[in-house]
Amino acid sequence: MSQTWVLGQRALREAWRTPEAILPTLFIPLFFLVVNIGQAGKIFPSTTTEFLKGQGYGAFQLPASLLLAASFGTAALYLVEDIEGGYFDKLRAAPVSRAALVLGRLFAEFVKGIVISIAIVALGFAFGIEIASGPLGFVLLVLLTASWAVVFVGLLQLIALKTRNAAATNSASLIFFPLMFLTPNFVPRELLTRPMEIAATLNPVTYLMESLRSLILDDLDWATIWPGFAVVVVVGAIMLAANVRLINHYD
Amino acid sequence: MSAAAVEAQRLVKTYKGRGGQVEAVRGVDLRIEPGEIFGFLGPNGAGKSTTVRMLTTLLTITSGSATVAGVDVAREPDKARRKMGVALQEAGLDPRQKGRELLVLQARLFGMNAGEAAARADELLTLVELEDAADRLIKGYSGGMKRRLDLASALVHRPEVLFLDEPTTGLDPASRITVWEEVRRINQLGTTVFLTTQYLEEADQLCGRLAIIDDGVIVREGTPERLKAELRERAALDHDPTLDDVFLDATGRTRAKAEGAVSEVIA
Repeated sequence: MSQTWVLGQRALREAWRTPEAILPTLFIPLFFLVVNIGQAGKIFPSTTTEFLKGQGYGAFQLPASLLLAASFGTAALYLVEDIEGGYFDKLRAAPVSRAALVLGRLFAEFVKGIVISIAIVALGFAFGIEIASGPLGFVLLVLLTASWAVVFVGLLQLIALKTRNAAATNSASLIFFPLMFLTPNFVPRELLTRPMEIAATLNPVTYLMESLRSLILDDLDWATIWPGFAVVVVVGAIMLAANVRLINHYD
Repeated sequence: MSAAAVEAQRLVKTYKGRGGQVEAVRGVDLRIEPGEIFGFLGPNGAGKSTTVRMLTTLLTITSGSATVAGVDVAREPDKARRKMGVALQEAGLDPRQKGRELLVLQARLFGMNAGEAAARADELLTLVELEDAADRLIKGYSGGMKRRLDLASALVHRPEVLFLDEPTTGLDPASRITVWEEVRRINQLGTTVFLTTQYLEEADQLCGRLAIIDDGVIVREGTPERLKAELRERAALDHDPTLDDVFLDATGRTRAKAEGAVSEVIA
């Protein structure tokens, strides 16, 4: 644990010293929130749109912005820099557990994810968004977003370890867009066309989005909340196992 | 016989290439005694770095065995890592950290607590004369400063064996001499040094004994003096050969060919 902690501290220092890499993580999701509200807010007025449960369309869109922010993790790109610069070999030549080499950066991503999701939700309050599930729901909302940020960047770390190439790692992050748009992003799942509904049902990100949305629009509705956490746990376990395996066999 | 600082027996590394198997190292045997500065020379692509990477646990060994300070690097890699310090080609540093932070982090990874790590970082910054730059970001360091910091980071845990892979490549002559002085000083403190280099003058200046590797096999081994004397006798030279002559003879190159190659690069 202490090795994970010191490597995590290093990754946090790195993030603190490169604010230019973090600011877009806040700006772009808020930009999309504003644009989406502007484009569809009048189509879905809060007074007559049942699925908004009395809130504005911004509340329905906030999960998409949170998931977008969670997809901007930098751990994989910094890992490629470490590999290309030789520092990764320096770490591998030390008696460091291979799991700590993975977990150090992911720990830092978790901390960043918490800070960024709190900031986005706080800015959402300025748009009149409320968290219907109360303080516990707010905590769960932040934890789920930050955990998904860790899982997603961990998947990109796999690409980084496999290819050792910044361009390939950067390109792999584009997988976020199909994952994001094959979800009930603009309307609930039951209002999607049949092919889109099937695609969304097969897409694990759908359950994250519905979980986050439920925390914003409903009182604690555990039946909708738990699948989001289950996705994080299952995909996260696969991601961690694959990362450790790749580092163990890294030549 | 006492434990060698470094020992390799029939060390082989094979890669899968597009055209089939590539044997980068083909049965290297080495024995380096504690306290030596051992030079490992060879042309580009001869297998120097591959050998070092196997000895330092960074590459898996295809066949054969290797020990560092008596510890098998394949069977007990973590134990071996505690016995060795490693400074590879292109100083492996994190440019977004400060010099002191990097050393403290390295010390923590070797199990020191925060206080011990801070004290050790101070000692090493003094050793490599980087006290004034300790709290500056590494990205602002010169090439020579980076090399010295890399050396310091390889020494945090007081290793028995220090591996230096081309430690002066790309440095100006003054920085190169500074690094040589550091290496001598480290060796005088009792650390065995395994040094790869392309600079024959460097090997001549620093190394008590050396080996030349070419095409994955060791083609010469001995003290610089013995290798020169052997060439003078075998080739019936009427002058004292230099280490350059030994190297060219061992790797099957001629001075004319080598100079021709250099001219081509310059052109």
